[in-house]
Amino acid sequence: MTTAEFGKQNWGMVVDIDKCTGCQACVLACQSENNIPLNTQNRFERARAISWIRVERYWEGDFPDVHARFIPILCQQCENAPCEPVCPVYATYHNSEGLNIQVYNRCVGTRYCANGCPFTVRFFNYWEPVWPDSLRNHLNPDVTVRSRGIMEKCSFCIQRIRRGVRTANKENRGIVDGEIQTACSQACPTSALVFGDLNDKESKVSKLKNDDRNYKLLPHLNLEQNVTYLAKVDPEKKIESHSEEAISHE
Amino acid sequence: MNSKEKTESTSSKKWMKILIPLVGIGGFGAVAIFGAFFAFIITAWWGQPIPILGFEQTVEQPISFPHTIHASTNQLEHVSENGDPIMGLGMDCTFCHRTVTKQKNAGVPPVALCTTCHSVIGSKDSIALSNVRKAGGIEGNDPQPINWKRVHRMPDHVRFVHEPHIRYLLENPDTIKNTTSGVKEGAAGVCSTCHGDVASMEQVAQVEALKMGQCVDCHRDNGAPTDCAVCHH
Repeated sequence: MTTAEFGKQNWGMVVDIDKCTGCQACVLACQSENNIPLNTQNRFERARAISWIRVERYWEGDFPDVHARFIPILCQQCENAPCEPVCPVYATYHNSEGLNIQVYNRCVGTRYCANGCPFTVRFFNYWEPVWPDSLRNHLNPDVTVRSRGIMEKCSFCIQRIRRGVRTANKENRGIVDGEIQTACSQACPTSALVFGDLNDKESKVSKLKNDDRNYKLLPHLNLEQNVTYLAKVDPEKKIESHSEEAISHE
Repeated sequence: MNSKEKTESTSSKKWMKILIPLVGIGGFGAVAIFGAFFAFIITAWWGQPIPILGFEQTVEQPISFPHTIHASTNQLEHVSENGDPIMGLGMDCTFCHRTVTKQKNAGVPPVALCTTCHSVIGSKDSIALSNVRKAGGIEGNDPQPINWKRVHRMPDHVRFVHEPHIRYLLENPDTIKNTTSGVKEGAAGVCSTCHGDVASMEQVAQVEALKMGQCVDCHRDNGAPTDCAVCHH
């Protein structure tokens, strides 16, 4: 492949929960990359805060043996997305790159898609976004500022994909694995989030997807997500009974 | 009683004789006004609005920069002080709009690029040139950037990138539309496809409607992707 043709890639991500430390760097990177409005206390109290990626925290065990478990949740870019068929104006659809696209200028704000999403990763702009004067020039010029009354969601940093494809085409070559990174995967200090092309069998993300630890969230819904997870390896977890027998036999 | 009714009916008949033509003329007038209004709306909807009543697709710049003198290769309309004909300089578009072949925006040059020539070249009496020199710090001690007004503005939800378009047009010269009176070689020869013949404009105006239909038509004709997320994200 000499040039990066449109629609030849299938973008996906693998999140290694074993590596996630719950530092929230991905959340912050996403907020600043994608012009997400500031989540003030008022918005949190009304449960209307917007964050395209969030780190969910679960407590395990009783005091004093308490363990925190973290899992980053972002739009899973489902192939069988429940949000897509409910849109009356075709503002959300699946494109040939494997992305679940939200077209802001088509959206009329019915919020059906947010009700359909089992991961609650779609957010509605209840207010006009405002930033303080000190942040006036911090907005990313490659990302549309969403006005009041429309849905928004993780776009897999599509502006970075476009830039990467453009650069590759300019240099008359294909896309190199790892060249295009989302803001969250770039910011992750432990490289827990890996982004890449699933059609490229040699890419890091394809190899991780074939890992034994790989699993999908809510598998019974048959959503065919492009975002999959690697299960946590727990060193303190007791060995299951059958493997204990196996050891005793030896 | 009878005579009173008679006079009333005659007076009302007189009134009707005046009223009916008045209503008729008024009705036709109203239809004509509404028709003109809707025609205006429809032309503005499909293309550009008719250039009247402040709907001219042009902006007066803080310094009246003439693209004709700088970019045109033809003879200019006005003559020099001696009465000799003046030829346009024929500068390449990319001499000033330097980032157009590499980046998203065409870019407007810093005042320093203007004063490279205009610290020396040009009449001392010209108000526009003295404003350029003031902005560049050649005259006075208050150098300031010039607040150029934007003429071609895309809506906020559109992400247009110049670089791949110019690359494609250079590789496929058959797709270039309109002709320019400026430089025809290199990147400068392809600008006219969307911007018209800027080299012959005293004050730059938007000549193409640059609406989504035009973008999609061109993308479809040239095999470029027409996915929404190519431009809207």
